[in-house]
Amino acid sequence: MYLILSSILFPILAGLFLLVRHRTPLSGETPTDRKSLIALTGCSLIITAIFVIAALFAENGFTLFYLTPSLPIYFRVDSVGRIFSLLAVIVIPCAGFFSFAYMKHEEHESRYYGFYLLVFGVLNALCFAGNLITFYLFFELLTLSSMPLVLHNGSKEAVMAGLKYLFYSLCGAYAALFGIYFLYRNCDSLTFTMDGALRASAIAEHGGFLLVVAFVMLLGFGVKAGMFPMHAWLPTAHPVAPAPASAVLSAVIVKAGVLATIRVLGMFGTDFLKGTWVQTAWLCLTLITVFMGSLLAYREPVLKKRLAYSTVSQLSYILFGLAVMNETSFTGALLHVLAHGFIKAALFLCAGAIIYKTGKTRVEEMRGIGKEMPVTMWCFTVASLGLIGIPPTGGFLSKWFLALGSLKSGIPVFGVLGPVILLVSALLTAGYLLPLTIHGFFPGADYDYNRLQKKEPCKLMRVPILMLTALSVLAGIFPFAIFLAYFAVTGR
Amino acid sequence: MNFICNFPFFSILLSLFSGTICSVLPAKAAKVVNRVVIIAVGLMSAVLLLYLLATGESFIYWMGHFPAPWGNEIRAGVLEAGMALFFCIIMYLSMAGGAHKLPGEVVESKHNLYYILVNLLLSSLLALVYTNDMFTAYVFVEINTISACGLIMIRQVGRTIEAAVRYMIMSLLGSGLLLFGLCIMYDLTGHLLMSNIKESVGLIMASGEYQIPLIVSVALMCIGLCIKSALFPFHAWLPDAYGYSTVSSAAILSSLVSKGYIFLLIKIIYRVIGFDIFNSTRIIDVLFVFGLMGMIFGSLSAIRENDIRRMIAFSSVAQIGYIYMGFGMGTQAGMVASIFHILSHAATKSLLFIAAIGLTDVSGGSRKFIDLTGAAYRNKWAGAAFTVGSLSMVGIPLFSGFISKLLFAQAAVQVEGKMLASLIVLGISTVLNAVYFMKTVIRIYAYAPDAPYKGITFRDMKAYAVVLVCFILLNVILGVSSQPVVDMIGQGLAMFA
Repeated sequence: MYLILSSILFPILAGLFLLVRHRTPLSGETPTDRKSLIALTGCSLIITAIFVIAALFAENGFTLFYLTPSLPIYFRVDSVGRIFSLLAVIVIPCAGFFSFAYMKHEEHESRYYGFYLLVFGVLNALCFAGNLITFYLFFELLTLSSMPLVLHNGSKEAVMAGLKYLFYSLCGAYAALFGIYFLYRNCDSLTFTMDGALRASAIAEHGGFLLVVAFVMLLGFGVKAGMFPMHAWLPTAHPVAPAPASAVLSAVIVKAGVLATIRVLGMFGTDFLKGTWVQTAWLCLTLITVFMGSLLAYREPVLKKRLAYSTVSQLSYILFGLAVMNETSFTGALLHVLAHGFIKAALFLCAGAIIYKTGKTRVEEMRGIGKEMPVTMWCFTVASLGLIGIPPTGGFLSKWFLALGSLKSGIPVFGVLGPVILLVSALLTAGYLLPLTIHGFFPGADYDYNRLQKKEPCKLMRVPILMLTALSVLAGIFPFAIFLAYFAVTGR
Repeated sequence: MNFICNFPFFSILLSLFSGTICSVLPAKAAKVVNRVVIIAVGLMSAVLLLYLLATGESFIYWMGHFPAPWGNEIRAGVLEAGMALFFCIIMYLSMAGGAHKLPGEVVESKHNLYYILVNLLLSSLLALVYTNDMFTAYVFVEINTISACGLIMIRQVGRTIEAAVRYMIMSLLGSGLLLFGLCIMYDLTGHLLMSNIKESVGLIMASGEYQIPLIVSVALMCIGLCIKSALFPFHAWLPDAYGYSTVSSAAILSSLVSKGYIFLLIKIIYRVIGFDIFNSTRIIDVLFVFGLMGMIFGSLSAIRENDIRRMIAFSSVAQIGYIYMGFGMGTQAGMVASIFHILSHAATKSLLFIAAIGLTDVSGGSRKFIDLTGAAYRNKWAGAAFTVGSLSMVGIPLFSGFISKLLFAQAAVQVEGKMLASLIVLGISTVLNAVYFMKTVIRIYAYAPDAPYKGITFRDMKAYAVVLVCFILLNVILGVSSQPVVDMIGQGLAMFA
């Protein structure tokens, strides 16, 4: 109990401390200030990570307090939560250490680290939440605490992006809350399960209406995961944040939407939703998103925006796997959560390193970048291959399971159409990521090699990128994650 | 009869007479008298509440020694005592939070007049809460109007005179309609005491005669009180009245005065007409529709507003809409949600008004958003308090606004015909609330390095900061442990029947 609680409260308190520490947060940081700030943040990140890893082995849930007698604030560690929190506990400290170097050229560092730690704590709480109302509470807090990361640089564009993020998320969260009211009425408890919590009498009485509710909830939580009709915030909000923050937003925070979707599926039960119009509509939406996201990414000239569009597309791979609703595709989805998390974080950090060192943001400017920053670009290439799904990387395994599950499901049309679209989208992924590598390493005959400078970033940046890239490959070679995922599916 | 049963009577008279005494006292002493009276009334209400919770029964107190159909009566139950206690808390905090602004807002010679008006307002609110007699209610409605008008007008700058005249006209129209309704009711039933009217109303409904005049009279009373509490189409007086009066007045007017009228309406619904008879009329549908419209149009007006005080004032229109939507659902759960929202809105809205003044003070007194940029860094306490108030208004869990939204939604789920409309409008209104409150929060936390205004630290405003902390605590307590309050409301409503 104390481990779970401290993994949530410690980073939140540390973050709040950083936010109120300075008497005048408006004055710029002096070098000594900066050192102590970094030391504080680094220690907090490491301590939190230790707490979280220890908390992963916790067995018993506990109730913190009661919001109303029937709505406890309840925490519990379960298999699905473990996978997501594993992702968070690896990516957030990595990106955190990366930002120690990256944030040198941004202002208001203490505000940034404060909210960064807040986000970490809230994410832990989200992974360990044991019932729907606790989950909702931290889902809202996640939006609020991650918004300052989006509008960090305070430009008009960033503020508008932050507001857009806020309103899309609030709309989505309200749609989900709307569903929670009905679940509250038709379930015996809101504690998460994997096999349906609806009363049999409720299904018999107004099953048709409950399907509508399920669809609204999936759409609502889908906003956070960037699913089609409500995806527009993601490519606006993610690129304006500082690069390490975009890495966390794109790799981890959007996964909160996926986690929410899994929870909703569990509450309604796959038996209830399988074969209904909700499944068909949902499959349809995810496939549209997969295709559209890749296509938009393909056309996008700004690197960080391109990566954000790619997130839209890749997240819908995961949602597609969930929408197919069998164990194989579920495994694929959970594997892709991890694989995409590591890969996308690595890609965004690479992009951050490029911006930090050269100031280039557009893809066509990056000719010859591989000669200047070989390590970064090698990592970028390996991660790209992972995202495309070339063995032996993690992306291959997850996509394999996704396609297999979809073919096995026997859903008419979509069962076959799904893998086809996944393949086409993989092709597009290659189309939008590999040109960077190609032009980066082979700038062409007219490239002036004399102007070439070594611009490799410092260790503090390189090590997190290397770690995340290595993890994305290791996830494919040593599929320890598969076992984790299987446990999650079988509910062990 | 226990001595404690005298407390409602004592508290009304105490605040009434202290008003009179204040007129001959110097300003400083009047301030002390005012504070002491509010605390004393609050304590008495608290004791009374505990006593009523222990006995579990409401009681009726004769004013003068005449039995029922002739004498004047006071009635106290859990809901009345709880409401009186809550009103006292909010009033004390609002007065304390605006005290440092008073010298700048009101000329020195009128300070004791200000305290007279506040005391009169308190006494009329208490009378509205406790009375069991329709005519007494009418009399105190008028006293309430006059003192509220005075509170608006006493800051003699800018548009307060116009605002007060507007308020006066609309309010008098409201009390006129209430009086009409009352007359028709008296004509039909021959009584002025609530319990006696209720008996006769039951007979009239059973006999089937004079039903239409009865419903007309109920409708008149409802509309009258709706005008006075600024339900949507009748809200034109509100933004000026709340936007330009002194800060304490704005907090008190928005969180207490309109709530006093709403509480009177609840009393009329339960004690005069009867809950079931009221719900069988079409009036609740009208209230429901106007409530929903208020929720949307109030927020839309607030979004367009470029003045922080007027924005908060327009947000009141939306929040009053929530309360009437709860009435319109016609169920016990809807009523509980509405009453909880009365408390939650009172706690939040006064917090917002008090916090906003802290922000405008460090922005050269300007209330335009452009000048407020970065104000939360210049006055951290007010910034934090405003953020808490905003989050509560948007309905983020852990704050009181979330619980009232939860209660409204739970109530809505039980009403077949109105479920979808209320949930959808609740959703829209949540998002609209987020639009203007979060916009403001981002604005006050935006970085403004070249703002020419000076910051203020804790040392310069200890009392003010303490008040803000109290308000924040009140909000969080209502949000985290709402159940005792909800239970108490349910118990109080049960006593009404």
